[in-house]
Amino acid sequence: MRRFPDVQKNAVVQAFESASLSKIRRALRLLDELDPEQRGPRLDVELLSTYNLEPILPAIQLALDCIPSRANLRLAPLDVIEAQVSQESKEPAHARIILWRIEEALPDLLYPFTNGFPEQLVASVDQFLERVERVVSLHQKNAHGVPLFLSTIALPVNFSNVVFAAQHCAGLFASVGRTNQKIHQLATRDGGVHVLDVAGWAAFEGKSHADATLDLMARQPLSAKGQVALALFIARCLRPLIVPGRKGLAVDLDNTLWGGVVGEDGVAGLKLGHDFPGNVHMRIQRELLELRNRGVLLVVLSKNNEPDVRQVFDSLPEMLLKWEDFAVRKINWNHKHENLREAARELGLGVDSFAFVDDSDYEREQMRQYLPEVLILNEGSDPLQTLRSLWETDAFDSLAVSVEDRLRYRDYTVRAVRDVEAHQDDLEAFLKSLEMEATIEEIGPSNMERVVTMLGKTNQFNLTTRRHGRGQVQAMLELPGSILLTLRLRDKFGEQGIVALSLAVPSNDSNALQIDSFLVSCRALGRGVEDALWSAMVSRALAQGVRKLDAEYRATAKNALAAKFYDKVGLQSVARDSSAVQYRLEPIEAHPSPSWIVVHNRSNER
Amino acid sequence: MNDSDQLHQLLVDFFDLPADTPSKQITQQAIGSWDSLAMVQLIADLQGTFRAEFDLDEIERLRSYDEISHALSRKGVSLKGQ
Repeated sequence: MRRFPDVQKNAVVQAFESASLSKIRRALRLLDELDPEQRGPRLDVELLSTYNLEPILPAIQLALDCIPSRANLRLAPLDVIEAQVSQESKEPAHARIILWRIEEALPDLLYPFTNGFPEQLVASVDQFLERVERVVSLHQKNAHGVPLFLSTIALPVNFSNVVFAAQHCAGLFASVGRTNQKIHQLATRDGGVHVLDVAGWAAFEGKSHADATLDLMARQPLSAKGQVALALFIARCLRPLIVPGRKGLAVDLDNTLWGGVVGEDGVAGLKLGHDFPGNVHMRIQRELLELRNRGVLLVVLSKNNEPDVRQVFDSLPEMLLKWEDFAVRKINWNHKHENLREAARELGLGVDSFAFVDDSDYEREQMRQYLPEVLILNEGSDPLQTLRSLWETDAFDSLAVSVEDRLRYRDYTVRAVRDVEAHQDDLEAFLKSLEMEATIEEIGPSNMERVVTMLGKTNQFNLTTRRHGRGQVQAMLELPGSILLTLRLRDKFGEQGIVALSLAVPSNDSNALQIDSFLVSCRALGRGVEDALWSAMVSRALAQGVRKLDAEYRATAKNALAAKFYDKVGLQSVARDSSAVQYRLEPIEAHPSPSWIVVHNRSNER
Repeated sequence: MNDSDQLHQLLVDFFDLPADTPSKQITQQAIGSWDSLAMVQLIADLQGTFRAEFDLDEIERLRSYDEISHALSRKGVSLKGQ
């Protein structure tokens, strides 16, 4: 929503604050007036439900439009979940959501003594668990590749006997817990199944989200405020499908990581610890450490003398964050926007991959003006508000955290990029010293999650920047003759995970392949990985009798780095327009793989 | 009834009516889009806007500006202002 003009932004804020349908409709009309470019990518969402969502559709539409996206909602008739998932999707949606609740899915639980408590209730829950499993497997069969969001079952707002319901393992509370456990297990087991935790949401919203009158009138259980809240919750859960999480967080130190100013108060005067207010800063550090551990790169932007700061890290025992937890530290008297730009360059990221936290109004305002693409998380100077902003932000949301994400924090990745720059004179010897081993694998279920994440997030060394979802990659897998490869890298510092991928699909000409996508993660740049992957792809193409390769470079604001790759590996440019250069390689010749990378080939089940 | 009170405004916006529609003409009979779906959405809006809950009898009679206005007045809701 940040990029909407003020008229639209204000209308949206009013609509959500008032929860009034006419204001929601007005906001939708105003958004319709925007160019498609301002409105974001198309997002087709299929909704299946056991309760009536029709009255809530405008609110859901508005919330999804604000991701931003051009949402197209397809609401199935009530209670036809199995019938719907049994049909093969002709036009697969970008996401399918299934919402069910206790009143329709497990009604016996509401009246246990009328419905054979306890044995029969256990059986009813078992039956529902089988139903959930069946629905998921039908979905996998008929709409494979479409992300499925299963709602959890919320506790009912209106039922009697609250006390007894908690006393028995076949009672309502335990049964709902067992059901939701199953839904979480399915999501853990299968990368394409996600949880829309309506139970957690409802607990968080409290009773005010519900309206018993509307439920009885029209099987629509939500108050006006509840409708907007659920719509926003759905949008937040779907958002990571189209908006990648921010990759970096730049933070100030004084009055953020600790209370006080080190240059004035000295290390002994800083507030950090288990008691208020030092515990607020401790919690801020905990949040940052968690972000770092799940793959968000932390950067220090501080106007200080570096030795003072170093002393805090070295001697303040309560410091949770260590010096090396930060991928880059810019501690000097330069402008913070200049420092952030430099840090981003060193990390191989765009500045728009960053969020920023600072207690100074001046610093935030300067950042906002010079680098508007940086997301500023906090407002004002209150550390409590900073902490709240870290709790509430959706900036780092993701549906999955991969091994690669969790390894990212390792300082060496950054050091390695810097070292590459520093060792230009004797680059080959340096690269050899990294003891790199690459494993080439075909794309399949085991690496699909990472492939889709990389397609969604990689900006710089990305020849075409096509943001394919799981469904599109799955469709390519099914094309006979396609060569879809990933490259997994290991070096002397440890496992780096999948860092490059190539998607080659049959083109209209026989014996020809079109390179749909070719990309390398920024943290593996400068090591020859792209040549190793290209070499592997070309030798597979030769082995299956391909005679011609077509490829293209599509320029974006960020991928200039990759502009000359196809020239470098020997392709001829055959056509060019303002946005793309078309390349061809005919006949195909083997391409040498860099001598400093040992390559292993491994096949994978499709 | 006052044609510029908060309820009038809400109904005019809700059903996309001209702003000068007389209150007397705001009835379910006169407004084609006032169907059962609109009724559910309208009650959600009314309950949210006026912080009021309607009882069953009232819900069955909420079919015009006048009826809604009476029901809200009985609950002590002021339609003035805002």
